[in-house]
Parts: sequence; structure tokens; C-alpha cells
Amino acid sequence: MRDFTHTDGSTGLTTHPVAEMYAREHKAGQLDRREFLVRSTALGLSAAAAYSLIGVDAALADGHRSVPAAGGTLRIQQEVRALKDPRTYDWSQMANITRGFLEYLIQYNEDGSFEGVLLDSWEANEDATVYTLNLRQGVMWNNGDAFTAEDVAANFVGWCDSTVEGNSMATRMGGLVDPETGVAREGAIEVVDDHTVRVTYPEPDITLVPGIADYPSAVQHRDLIGTNPADHGVGTGAYQIADYEVGVSAQLVRNPDHTYWGDTYLDEIVFVDLGQDPAAWFAGAEAGEFDMTYETVGEFVDLFAAIGWEQSEVTTAATVVIRPNQNTAPYDDVRVRQAIHMAVDNQVCLDLGINGQGVTAENHHVCPIHPEYAELPPQTFDPAGAQALLEESGHADFEFELISIDDDYRKNTTDAVAAQLRDAGFNVTRTIIPGSTFWNDWTSYPFSSTNWNHRELGVQILNLAYRTGVPWNESGFSNAEFDELLTQANGIQDADARREVMVRLQQIMQEEGVTIQPYWRSLFRHYSPGIVNAGMHPKFEINVHYLGFSA
Amino acid sequence: MGAFILRRTGVMILTALCLTFVVFFLTNLFPNLEKLAKTQGNARMTDEEVVSWLDRNGYGGPLIVRYGEWLGLVPGWTREDEATGEITGRCIDFGMDPADAPTRCGLLQGDLGFSTVSDDEVGNIIGGRLLLTLKLMGWAFGVMVPAALLVGVLAGMREGSRLDRSLSTFSIASTATPEYVSGVIFIVLLASSTAGLSPLLAEWGWIEGRTLFLGSARSAMEDGITFWNFALPVTTIALYGMGYIARMTRASMAEVMTAQYIRTARLKGVSFRNIVLKHALRNALIAPFTVIMLQFPWLLTGVVIVETLFNYNGFGWTMVQAASNNDIELLLACSIVAVFVVLVTQLISDIGYVFLNPRIRIA
Repeated sequence: MRDFTHTDGSTGLTTHPVAEMYAREHKAGQLDRREFLVRSTALGLSAAAAYSLIGVDAALADGHRSVPAAGGTLRIQQEVRALKDPRTYDWSQMANITRGFLEYLIQYNEDGSFEGVLLDSWEANEDATVYTLNLRQGVMWNNGDAFTAEDVAANFVGWCDSTVEGNSMATRMGGLVDPETGVAREGAIEVVDDHTVRVTYPEPDITLVPGIADYPSAVQHRDLIGTNPADHGVGTGAYQIADYEVGVSAQLVRNPDHTYWGDTYLDEIVFVDLGQDPAAWFAGAEAGEFDMTYETVGEFVDLFAAIGWEQSEVTTAATVVIRPNQNTAPYDDVRVRQAIHMAVDNQVCLDLGINGQGVTAENHHVCPIHPEYAELPPQTFDPAGAQALLEESGHADFEFELISIDDDYRKNTTDAVAAQLRDAGFNVTRTIIPGSTFWNDWTSYPFSSTNWNHRELGVQILNLAYRTGVPWNESGFSNAEFDELLTQANGIQDADARREVMVRLQQIMQEEGVTIQPYWRSLFRHYSPGIVNAGMHPKFEINVHYLGFSA
Repeated sequence: MGAFILRRTGVMILTALCLTFVVFFLTNLFPNLEKLAKTQGNARMTDEEVVSWLDRNGYGGPLIVRYGEWLGLVPGWTREDEATGEITGRCIDFGMDPADAPTRCGLLQGDLGFSTVSDDEVGNIIGGRLLLTLKLMGWAFGVMVPAALLVGVLAGMREGSRLDRSLSTFSIASTATPEYVSGVIFIVLLASSTAGLSPLLAEWGWIEGRTLFLGSARSAMEDGITFWNFALPVTTIALYGMGYIARMTRASMAEVMTAQYIRTARLKGVSFRNIVLKHALRNALIAPFTVIMLQFPWLLTGVVIVETLFNYNGFGWTMVQAASNNDIELLLACSIVAVFVVLVTQLISDIGYVFLNPRIRIA
């Protein structure tokens, strides 16, 4: 059983001065439990220790996993995409399949806490520049080699290699990458002993833990960095790929020649690809072709509930942004961007875009569930003022082309924005591009919508999407004050202190009219009754080791 | 006859060559290559990364040379990585020693290439998928042709009768309803547990499962074909083609029924049943025969819709996947198959015509 009571023998920090401060804040009601868990486990506390600091029995807390019966075959509806070097994964679905044999150092739980998988524990020093990672003992690769600190160090070097095309881990590694050479900085990653690795940042950085809990950070064997796991199947997990047909199905079965370090229940997991149309998923469910969805969207949430499936819901920082690109006229004019803001009511986007399945947001891409979120005064919705401002800027006759992907909620939300802009007197045309070609130019469309996944900390998204010149900066936003404050915020480990800086960062996002970011999505998953530990995860993670049928 | 078949084969090869070149040209336009790089590399790659990826994976050379590589006339590309010294190439598989790899690997060597979307050899994929489609088409034909001929003959033997009018209305309606409409109607009516007939039947206890038929044919691929999982896709395809063939048969039948020799037979006192079966039928079937053979290529487009609608991973579905992911070599293989199917059915139709109508001769 792998729960927070440490029957697996993990140790981890039992306390930390800052964590104790968080515990006091939580008890005083200034911090909710989720935020408390994110912050204290990111410091290196085990979840059990964190729970005990606030006087909660971990076994009774949220996110506790129950023990399923051993055996069985579970079929999961999920796209089956061609696998590639895990560093370059761009879909959580790929990682969900390889998670059966390629595990992670740390995992992010549904309740917002971090838990060691291949790591037994980790500690940060006071100013968050040095992290010590303690590896789990007794983990073996399924090719017979022992899992050691060399493996972890080799993976870190691989993750830091920004010369590999599409290696999104390099962005997550931040200061560990030497900007001159594009690879890992000298001495940043040290092997202390067989089971200890030390990671040193040149400046404070608090995104290491969420970064190595993200789906592209699957840990590969030291000699196989950069290879496609489908070609060799070497990993530490309990399963192996028995069959893999892209677009059709993938089958994982328990690896008979490998002793797994933890517990696992299912004998076989089949991922069934039914394409991207939710109607086809529903038809498949009615025909009894799978037991659990990857994600249920839109009106199908009610339909799946209607046929008696269990529903699991999680509120996340996943969202859609409808952003002008400031490198294109007339969006380089801040008045135009502000006029767009004033013309759009986020509540309408929430209602029309995703049937109200979420909460409204405030156009600054920092979510209330992020620990450093700062509350700002509400924005004004003023279509008449928007029209006046647009006329003042001299672009009243401009024909705004609003682009979106051809897909359910993103299309609907963008339509809702377009309709509101038209109501405010803007001249708007809508362009819809099929999913297969939409992503070719997603960063350079003049005015388009993009979906963004959940991230654990507010600064992570700002770093990825709004810092000057970063690859995913789709709004063409470039602001010296913003960049400087963001660098500053990245080094503040205490979320309350960081919030002081965040206030200004969030204000800049609103003042500059960087993007319309109308709502935070709730995510849903459905499964047939009797399946356990299949709850929805804010980052769509499925860990096949935990799944099973109720005992 | 031999020369005729030989000439037809020549035409087929020439057509295939032209078509594949067109497909090759279109799929190798830069925006398409960019799409390929982004699906294969990372959906959010920068422009420089795209160019470097294309170059590293052999999409960098001139178009005509790469077409030659695919045909197997030009040696496959090889590339040495400057940093690691590792040699990669078109003909070098994962883990293969570059020295052992053949210089040419293309169509002439029997190598259909590599499917990027499926991450597998095209040869491994296309065979199984074609077999699945063959089963679907076989069943669809088995239902469509007899039903269409029956409807057509019944309607045509007494032109203008009530039977003729009602059957004609039915065939026109079925031809006028494309697969994507009839398929959806069938699913809603017969394969949904919340709408149509199934909830009623389930309430009355007439059906055991949740729905009368399955709205997805996926189980037919692994667990075998049953009436429940195959009825809807087969009917959807068959219904569309059926109306057309029935109309053709009716017209031909009606014409034959007005011929002099039929009148003679009637005057001689032959029974109506014998006139239809022994005198009219054979002559009436000449025109529909060509139409039936022409339905094969039509069916190929029909299965694209039906297989996608019913989640049946056959040839049509593969074609959709290949096209939407710009999977160049899979698309090329699909076009060869399509050319082959069209021209072979035409050949059969021409030869069959000779046997049905002795007045026609092919040299």
C-alpha cells in the first residue's frame, strides 16, 4: 500500500522552519489546506509530515488512495500517440502510457501535495538554491541494473540540453542550463553518493520540484537518455508494453521478469484510442468498449453521469487565453488591447464556452489555487467605454480576425469573445483552423486562442508564456519591469513574500491588456462503478500502478 | 485479350506513378512538412527547430531526388551526426549497423517506407487495415447487390405500377441520403441508450444490453464480427449504393420489358414469372453490372466516412489519419492501393461485359 503513512519506508523531512510558519497560517485560516500542502511538500516535507504539522490524520485526508483488489484488466479511453524521447513529450497521454514502466522522481497529487516516487525525500536550503535529492533504495531497472544517483544525474544533464529540438524540460530546468552553451551548467549537478544527488542553482529557484514532477520528466536509464522508450522498454515500473498500435490501442501487461519496488494491482491495462470526437467516446462507452475516460468535456459530463458512471471533478489552473499578439498592428497599441478587455465579460465566456464548468478568472493568468495568488480589485466590463477607447486609438474600422482551433470548448469560448466584441461595435471575423494545422503557427497568429494546462505555481506560467523572448510567448509581450519582477519572484521561496511581488506582476498583466483569460476550468473524468483511484488529476496524470477494481 | 490486359496494366502503372508524384508533391510542400515536423518533434517547436528537424530526418534534399528514393531508384539518404558520429539514414533501422543496411530501399525493393504517425513500417500497417476494410466491404456488397437487384427488377418489371412508384421513392431517398447523415440517424435511433428505440426496448425488457445495436464497430476488429456490432456500418454503406444500382436496374429492366421479343413471348402465352426470370433478367443485368463494378471505387470513399463514424480502424480510417498528420509514405501507399482497386475493378467490368454481351468484343 502506498499512502501517506509511509509503509513503503520513505523518510523525508519531518519539519522545516518555513513549513511551521505555513502551518500556523493554515490554522489561523490564512491558508487553505491545498496551498499549505503545495508549499510545505515543495520544501521537502513528506505529505504525512505536512499533515501532522496541521494536526490531520493523513489516512483520513483528501487524496488518500484506497487499496484495490489484485488483478483484472482495465480499459481506458485515451489517445494513443506515437512515442518519442520523453523529454520532447507534448501530450500527457504519452506519459500516461509510459508511466507503467518509466517512473518519475516526484509526483504531484490531486490534493496539491508532492510525493516522492523514485525519490525517498528531498530538501531545499534556506534560500532555495541548493536541493538535495535522496533516492529510494532498492529500485531496480527491468534490465537488471540498479537505479542509482548516476541515473538521476544523467537525466538531469539530458533535461538541461536545450540543443535537442522540442526538449521542453530545458525550459523547466531554468538556471541549471548555461545560457552560453545551452547545456547543463558546470557543477550544477553533483553525485554525492550512490543514492544522493545535489542540484545547485546560480540564483534562487522554486520551480525545481514541480518541474521534475511534470510529465516530460520521465526517468530513463543512464545509457538510454534521448531514446524512444518504445524501442527498448527499459524502466523501473511494473509493466511492459505488450502491444502498441498508434491511433488504435496500446496494451500494458505486468512485466513477469521484473521485481517492482512498490505495490501494483492490475494485470493488464488497455488504452483505447477513439479519436478526438467526444461523441465517439460516448458511443464507445455505450457499446461497452472501455471503463474509464481520460477526460470528459462539455455536455458529455452530464451524458456520462446519466448512464450511471462515477464522476470525478477537480478544479485546476487549466485555462484558455484569447490573446492579441503585440508584434502585430494594431495590437501593439495598448488602448486597443484595453478596449478588448473592457468589451468582454468573463462570466459570459464561462457560461457559453464551458457550460459554466469552472470559475471566472481575472485576465492575469494567476489562479486562486496558486499559493502566491494576490487578489486584485475586479475589472470593469464597459462595452461603451471599449468602443470609445477603440475610436480614440484610431482603429475603429480595423477588421479584427479572431482565430481558434476547430474543437469544442476552445471554439465556443472564442465565439463568445467574438460575439461580445461585435456587441461592443468591433468589426470581427472568425477563422477556425483544423487541429492538425492549427499548431503550426500558434505563437504568431495576430489574435487567437490557446489552451494552457494547469501548473503548480503562478510564476511557472508567467515564466513560460509572458517573459520576453521565451519560445512559448505567444502574446509577443515584452516588458522590462515585468521581467525583472518575475526574476525576483522566482527567488522568493515564501509565498506570502512572493505575493508582494505578484500583486504588481498581475497588475501589469491587466494594465497592459496582455490577454483575455476568462476562466479556470474544472476537469472531469468518468469511470464505471467499482474502479478505484481513478480520480481526475489536474494535469491529466494516470498512474496505472495505483488503479484497480474495488476489493 | 492478353494484349488488352497488358495494356491496362501499363496504364495502371503509369496512373499510379503520376498520382503518387502528385501526392508526393503536395505532401512535401513546406507547410505540410512543417506540420509533420511538429507532430513528430514537438507541437510547439520554433521555426529554426523545424528546419533542423527536417534536415536531420531526411526531408531536406530536392523533391525529385526524394521521390526517387521512395521509388528505390536513388540511394537512400544517410547523415552523420557531427557530435556523436552516429550514422542515421533512410535504410538504417533502429539498432542496425549502418554497414549492413542496403543502399536503396524503395518501392522497387518492395519497401513501402515508414509511417511517421504509426511509428511502424507501412507494409506492416496497410495489410491488416485493408483486410478489415475488405471484410466491411464484403458484407456491404453482400447486402447491397442482391437487395438492389431485387428492388430494381421488381420496380422495373411493371413500369408505373404502385409497386414501382413506392420502390422508386425508396431508392431515390436512400441514394439522396449520404453516409454521414444515415449513419448518424441510425446511431441515434438504434444505438443510443438515451434516445431512439433502445431505451424503450430496454424498459420493456426486449433487449438484454443497453442498446439494440452497437454504435461502434470496434469490437468487430478483435472479438469478431457479430450482428450487433456490424449491422449499422454495413447498412449505412449498403443503403447509399443500393438506391443507385436499383435505379439503374429498374431503367434497364423497364427498357427490356418493352422489347419486341418480350411481347412475342407474352403473345405465345408464356407466364409473366417465366418472362421475367428466363427472358428479361439476363439482358436487364448488363447495364447494372458496370454500375456495380463502378461502386467499388465509390465504396472506398464511403468507408472513409463510415469507418471514422463507427471507429473501425480499416483502410478508410487509416487514410484519414495519414492525411490529417501528413504521413507522406502512408498516403503514397494508400494512393497506390486506390489506383489498383479502381483500375482492377474496371478491368473486371470490361472483361465481364464481354461474357454478358456477346456483341461486344475486346481486342
